[in-house]
Amino acid sequence: MKIVVCIKQVPETNNVKIDPVTHNLDRRGLAGVMNPFDKNAVELALNLKDTTGAEVALLTMGPDDYAESVREGMAMGADSGYLLSDRAFAGADTLATGYVIAQALKKIGDADLILFGRQAVDADTGQVGPIVAEFLNQPQITYAASLRMSGPNEVTAERLLEDTKQTLVAQLPAVVSVRSELNTPRYPTPRNIQLSFEKPLTVWHHDDLDLDDTRLGQSGSPTVVTKVYAPEPVKRELTPLTGTPSEAASQLIKALKEHQLI
Amino acid sequence: MSKPELWVIAERRLDHIEPTTQQLITKARDLAGNSFKTVVILLEATADHLEDELTPYGPDEIRVVRDDRFPTATDAEHADALQQLVETYHPNGILFGATITGRSIAPRLQAKLQTGLTADALGLRYDGETLIAVKPSYGDNIMCEITIPERRPQMVTVRPNTFVAEEAAGTAEVTTTTVTFHPVDRLQVTAATPVVNTATTVGDASRVVALGRGAASAAMVNHATQLAEKLGGRIGVSRPLTDQDRFTHDDQIGQSGNTIHPELIINFGISGAVQFLVGMQDAKTIVAVNSDPDAPIFDVADYGYVGDAQTFMTALLAQFN
Ligand SMILES: Cc1cc2nc3c(=O)[nH]c(=O)nc-3n(C[C@H](O)[C@H](O)[C@H](O)COP(=O)(O)OP(=O)(O)OC[C@H]3O[C@@H](n4cnc5c(N)ncnc54)[C@H](O)[C@@H]3O)c2cc1C
Ligand SMILES: Cc1cc2nc3c(=O)[nH]c(=O)nc-3n(C[C@H](O)[C@H](O)[C@H](O)COP(=O)(O)OP(=O)(O)OC[C@H]3O[C@@H](n4cnc5c(N)ncnc54)[C@H](O)[C@@H]3O)c2cc1C
Repeated sequence: MKIVVCIKQVPETNNVKIDPVTHNLDRRGLAGVMNPFDKNAVELALNLKDTTGAEVALLTMGPDDYAESVREGMAMGADSGYLLSDRAFAGADTLATGYVIAQALKKIGDADLILFGRQAVDADTGQVGPIVAEFLNQPQITYAASLRMSGPNEVTAERLLEDTKQTLVAQLPAVVSVRSELNTPRYPTPRNIQLSFEKPLTVWHHDDLDLDDTRLGQSGSPTVVTKVYAPEPVKRELTPLTGTPSEAASQLIKALKEHQLI
Repeated sequence: MSKPELWVIAERRLDHIEPTTQQLITKARDLAGNSFKTVVILLEATADHLEDELTPYGPDEIRVVRDDRFPTATDAEHADALQQLVETYHPNGILFGATITGRSIAPRLQAKLQTGLTADALGLRYDGETLIAVKPSYGDNIMCEITIPERRPQMVTVRPNTFVAEEAAGTAEVTTTTVTFHPVDRLQVTAATPVVNTATTVGDASRVVALGRGAASAAMVNHATQLAEKLGGRIGVSRPLTDQDRFTHDDQIGQSGNTIHPELIINFGISGAVQFLVGMQDAKTIVAVNSDPDAPIFDVADYGYVGDAQTFMTALLAQFN
């Protein structure tokens, strides 16, 4: 069995600031780490590797430094990695990202299970997994809360909707995105960290893939971010409650009565 | 010329409509003004009448497609049916709830249609025929505005409980149409069971007593329970309090918890981090009690008391009795 886990690299903290002059996101000095939710997908894959001997590959699209997250995943125990890196891929929205990932998966070929995290913590869309599933014409199980092999070529998963629990059975190949409650990701062991430097990391550029250029990067992205800003809570006019606690409390009760709240 | 259509995709939750659908109808009517026609798309079984749960909210049209396979259809099957409808009617915009179901079907439909999808919007407005969606990112630390200038339909998933559903006058025209159901045999939904959750949640309460790290003692919780009872409300908490055995994630207010719209919220010992505020800032009346006069919660409060939470709580309860 072959499993490919798609991972994204994200800033290590969400405390990004807006540059007051350019009004752009100021990501200077923020180190990149593997998207925390993707570690749950890696862990699921490694679990299946432990029990069924599956082969686990990692796949990421991004600048060259995304290789660090691939190394991190290989240090957790994945066997190999693919990095899709090209200027032509930059500025992609979820549709253009999903397209390149799907084309790379076609080239890798015969993955039985393609795993995704529930969402990337920076843009927070959770859209890339279903888009890839559609482009590959594969069934999908999103937000899986549990997953097990239920046959040689079959998985059974549970999905928690807002107030319903669904059980789904999929014949492989299939695309699955996982909830973070699914498992606790393992830490890299010193031995695996060492081994990770010997594992193959393949870098594919634009010309290595079969791509329609009109579907790439910023120009292949239907969505446009027109403005970024820090959220300003809507300020209200504050009426202070003053005096002793008892006086303040009676002012509040009077106000609540005026508003017919009590 | 007929007006361009703005769609709301109705979501079903077992035998009912998921409430985000009704919230989106109210918002769609508001967005549409006189320029767009609001159409709800409802996929249901032949014996269902879920449209009855939608008509009171006054969309212009409810377009129903019936097939007994819809209630247990998979994401791909839903997306396939919706694609056929889009290719027949060419809507200008499509709104989905950013529920697990909506977030799973919408991107598949987007990929089929090769158009844009803005995720998890908290705000929406039209500029001419361009839909502008306000979307949080970086854990709600940053807001951005996203448009889909060139392709149609413009698709958006909208965070549940962001808008309030309001019944509206006017009669929705209920029409039926058909699609070809293309079954996907490699994936089956073999069971769907309700997760038993009968307790009313902080999300439903019209009065909320909210406790934060500055009001976390057992005595405070006990007093807050009494106050909530007197107000006919519920306790809600900021995230740090979900570490207590007594509270769970269901009680949490904020970005990663519940978005609430109560008539009244009284906040004790809560600093007012943005991730908390986004969950409650639409409350009609906001009261804050905090020992720090510079706590950001006071910026969004209508009434504020600077001082010890426990002392104020005791005084307040005494006067209720
Ligand atoms: C502030 C901001 C807001 C944005 N909002 C939108 C929007 O509303 N709609 C939109 O279409 N685009 C949006 N984008 C663009 C979007 O961030 C990029 O397309 C991004 O490359 C993928 O989307 P995501 O981060 O949302 O990933 P998600 O869809 O949340 O990621 C889900 C999973 O997909 C996999 N994955 C994601 N990215 C990669 C990758 N590069 N390589 C390998 N696997 C990956 C991971 O397993 C991840 O857990 C936004 C970007 C920014 C900066
Ligand atoms: C991605 C992300 C998602 C998050 N989601 C959420 C979310 O959904 N909900 C949420 O709540 N948080 C969320 N947070 C956490 C959030 O940033 C804050 O850390 C949290 O809201 C703080 O809770 P608090 O106000 O109770 O505690 P604190 O910030 O510690 O504030 C305690 C307050 O109590 C006051 N105080 C102390 N003693 C007393 C006293 N005796 N009497 C009166 N006042 C007193 C202090 O002055 C202070 O203002 C999230 C964070 C991230 C990064």
